[in-house]
Amino acid sequence: MADDKDVLRDVWFGRIPTSFTLYQDEITEREADPYYLLLPRVSYLTLVTDKVKKHFQKVMKQEDMGEMWLEYEGTPLKWHYPIGLLFDLHASNTALPWNITVHFKNFPEKDLLHCTSNYVIEAHFMSCIKEADALKHKGQVINEMQKKDHKQLWMGLQNDKFDQFWAINRKLMEYSVEEGGFRYIPFRIYQTTSDRPFIQKLFRPVTAEGQTHTLGDLLKEMFSAAVTPDDGEKKYQVVIHGIEPVLETPLQWLSEHLSYPDNFLHISVIPMPTD
Amino acid sequence: MSRDWGSAEDVCLGEQTFRLCCEEFIQHSRSINDEWDWEHSQGSEDGYMKKILLKAANGSTPPAWDDQRNVQGEKGELELEAQHGVYEELEDPGAGCSITTGPEMTRYEYHVVYSSSYQSPVLYFRACKLDGRPLSLEEIWERVHDNYKDRLLQGPWDTITQQEHPLLGQPFFILHPCRTHEFMTPIIQAAKEENRHLNVITAWLSMVGPVVGLALPISYATAASKHKTAPD
Repeated sequence: MADDKDVLRDVWFGRIPTSFTLYQDEITEREADPYYLLLPRVSYLTLVTDKVKKHFQKVMKQEDMGEMWLEYEGTPLKWHYPIGLLFDLHASNTALPWNITVHFKNFPEKDLLHCTSNYVIEAHFMSCIKEADALKHKGQVINEMQKKDHKQLWMGLQNDKFDQFWAINRKLMEYSVEEGGFRYIPFRIYQTTSDRPFIQKLFRPVTAEGQTHTLGDLLKEMFSAAVTPDDGEKKYQVVIHGIEPVLETPLQWLSEHLSYPDNFLHISVIPMPTD
Repeated sequence: MSRDWGSAEDVCLGEQTFRLCCEEFIQHSRSINDEWDWEHSQGSEDGYMKKILLKAANGSTPPAWDDQRNVQGEKGELELEAQHGVYEELEDPGAGCSITTGPEMTRYEYHVVYSSSYQSPVLYFRACKLDGRPLSLEEIWERVHDNYKDRLLQGPWDTITQQEHPLLGQPFFILHPCRTHEFMTPIIQAAKEENRHLNVITAWLSMVGPVVGLALPISYATAASKHKTAPD
């Protein structure tokens, strides 16, 4: 039986084999080969695809290269979502490697946020952490930390340093015994069949009477269609970090162990594969 | 970055209160044709307040609109922007108004959305030229009055950033909401102590709106003070 700390490592070091192919209408001086990369599930596309940009830069003129953006089967990929979430949501049950198409023209202004520097990614990441702590601890833990601690969280993610990251993040995972858990659980539930990007609401890990809420309880409240009725057919898979956790798993435990580095549980609800 | 959030506890804006305040706000908006409306999010009970504005850079206002400006002046509209020479506000040309569509015309869209994480409203906004070209962060920033720029530059949590709209999934700009409690707390406390009805949305929007080109006619405040019962 895996130790809880092992779970943290497994989540951090998850990788997705990906191939990057240049969009056929991009203007090149000679043919561009695809580029292969193992993407960290817990990171962000714009943080880890510099090599992809450099690879295609070799066969393109600078003036033909606007801001790079990525797309999977016609869907622009939101760089501000963690990579693992994007994969679970869009390509879960397809064959590996994940085939992503690379663009340098016609940036889809209505779909994607701009990402002009790593500072934008850092600001977004820290903003998520701050929001998660607002839910868990009314923001007290993150606000009492020094600037250098905030920086360490970011540097840990940027440089793939598990220990450096968790030295600070463990403080964001603490709670008092009397409380029995966080104030509210930071989570977002995503599905591709709705205009609404995600469901996020207030939800406590423990009831006033002291009962522990499970993943199933969360889904029943927020997205009841995702919970299979006893006599019904399973219509959806509920996926976090590429796995389907048992619905009886306590939500507090999930929040402490299966959150992304931004401290949110990003949960994908995807239709059952038809084969 | 050490802030005491303890005091924020008693001035949280619950979602119910948010809706009630918005209802009251929109009621008044309709009475003065200020064009705020409630939009429902597809397939759910959630929603947000929305307003669209057409603006021209100062100096290129067509003469036909001078009368409009005078009427608005009589209503006591906050003319911060006019005074500082940033923008003249024009009404969205509804039915039958002809308006010069010069290159300087910009369409602004404002949404007031509830954040359950911060238990406060958040102002989402975006702008585009009439040909559909969206304004960039730099262009938005240019249009913020210098006085506000100083305040915005004071901290990373006060600035304007691009963010995904939580109900529409599209890129918008926001003023980060985590400091809302700081400037709202004294206002809410004062109203409580004086046993005065306060529409939190009106008070909040009158503070943050002008920073991004959105003015509120004073009649919102006078309308609110006529209410006998305060929503909880």
